[in-house]
Amino acid sequence: MIDIKDANYSYDAEVTALKNVNLHIDAGEAIALIGVNGSGKSTLMKLINGLIIADSGSYLFEGEEINNKKMQNEEFSKAFHKKVGFVFQNSDVQLFCSNVYDEIAFGPRQMGMDEEEVRKRVEDTLKLLKIEELRDRQPYHLSGGEKKKVSIATVVVLNPDVYIFDEPMNGLDPKTKRFLKEFMIAINNAGKTILCSTHDFEYVKGVFKRAIVFSSNHAIIRDGNYEEIMNDSDFLYDNNII
Amino acid sequence: MPEWLLKKDNYTPLKDKNSFIDKSILSIFNVLAMFRQQTKIRNSKFGINPLTKLISTLILIIFVSLSRNFHFIVITTVFMLVLINLLSIKEIKYVVKASMAAAIFTFIILLPAIFLGYSNNTLMITLKVLVSVASVSILTCTTQWNELIITLKIFRIPDIFILVLDITIKYIIILGEFSLNMVYALKLRSVGKNNHKSTALSGVVGTMFIKSKEMAEEMYGAMESRGFTGTYKVYTKFKFKLFDYICFILTIIFVLTYFYFDRL
Repeated sequence: MIDIKDANYSYDAEVTALKNVNLHIDAGEAIALIGVNGSGKSTLMKLINGLIIADSGSYLFEGEEINNKKMQNEEFSKAFHKKVGFVFQNSDVQLFCSNVYDEIAFGPRQMGMDEEEVRKRVEDTLKLLKIEELRDRQPYHLSGGEKKKVSIATVVVLNPDVYIFDEPMNGLDPKTKRFLKEFMIAINNAGKTILCSTHDFEYVKGVFKRAIVFSSNHAIIRDGNYEEIMNDSDFLYDNNII
Repeated sequence: MPEWLLKKDNYTPLKDKNSFIDKSILSIFNVLAMFRQQTKIRNSKFGINPLTKLISTLILIIFVSLSRNFHFIVITTVFMLVLINLLSIKEIKYVVKASMAAAIFTFIILLPAIFLGYSNNTLMITLKVLVSVASVSILTCTTQWNELIITLKIFRIPDIFILVLDITIKYIIILGEFSLNMVYALKLRSVGKNNHKSTALSGVVGTMFIKSKEMAEEMYGAMESRGFTGTYKVYTKFKFKLFDYICFILTIIFVLTYFYFDRL
């Protein structure tokens, strides 16, 4: 599904963010991206989302190369963004409508669904994320955990094939973290591909089957079974992960 | 799990024009890149301190503006070209771009004067603009903004005003990055035809406003908890090195040249 070969990326042509990244992800996988701050996890997620294009190397999504030319084609880029959902680390950036219902309905309305269908999708999503009571609230008055759930709902409602979570557990209370863990397991069981960066290993037990570890010099240093990597304390300690 | 979530959507995006999102991303990117460039710590080639640079630039602009002598302006232009030549390629590009744009614009504005027989004056004013903009560009591209702001203290500008300017620049970058992510989020969720583009954009602007208000309140709280009582003192100590003295000597020669050509 996702094939990245020899990808390199640097910010302002000076600050290296990704170094020679090679990655293959199959549909339905649940992968944890692990690494110290600034190791390139968020950059890789932006690359997979098509928000940035690698300086060199290639990125294939479902066999189609994702490059500047393709992303400038509006029809292609919209269809691609519909398939790959991104939950930002900071939920505030994702919410800009006047109430939660409109926020979640923003995507489906654009997809040309009639209002009844939109309402059904939004109600289902509200129920799935257990936020029905937030329906008429203003997004900027919600708590951190509620904002996170609403921002996830805005992605879920588009029914993407791939979910990308950028450190979703940050700043959430234990109950919301447990809810998120169960939610990730549920959507993965529903056949969705999950890619998630995290430092919060305690709360994601049982979600991931595979882990990709980034070194501080922006390269992938290990790619394998999640449990095996998590049990290799020496490796995790040496790489400043625990 | 709702049924629609368990199967793939058979979806082809409806045609719509969303280039405003890409244009917004590009323009925010450019502003952020400019600020990052400006706030980057750079090793000045000659280690001239910002105060020397600011004073010399001001003197240069004042005397170039006062001058009515074509030779003096030409000499200053040549001097400026020599200075530009000492910069790095990136800095040269920045200075040339800014000064040429200003000069060309001035020349076009003054074009009718050429037909009225004032060609010398037109050329002189264009060169004056070129030299002035080039000197300010050299100053800004070789000096960090926070250093430049601190030099304002010499001009008796209150410390609290300097603090506000400093914080403004910092928050332009923070809010810029926030708005970039917001427009990214808007782009990712714009998967079809949006009949209410202005509503989405005004939502982004509104959220930005709320965010900036929250950040301002949080920062004031943080400042208060660190003992801020409304007064702020900027501590500066400018050290003058060999190249600062050379710079001052060049400035004095420049002023003498002005008097030689314009007043004698």
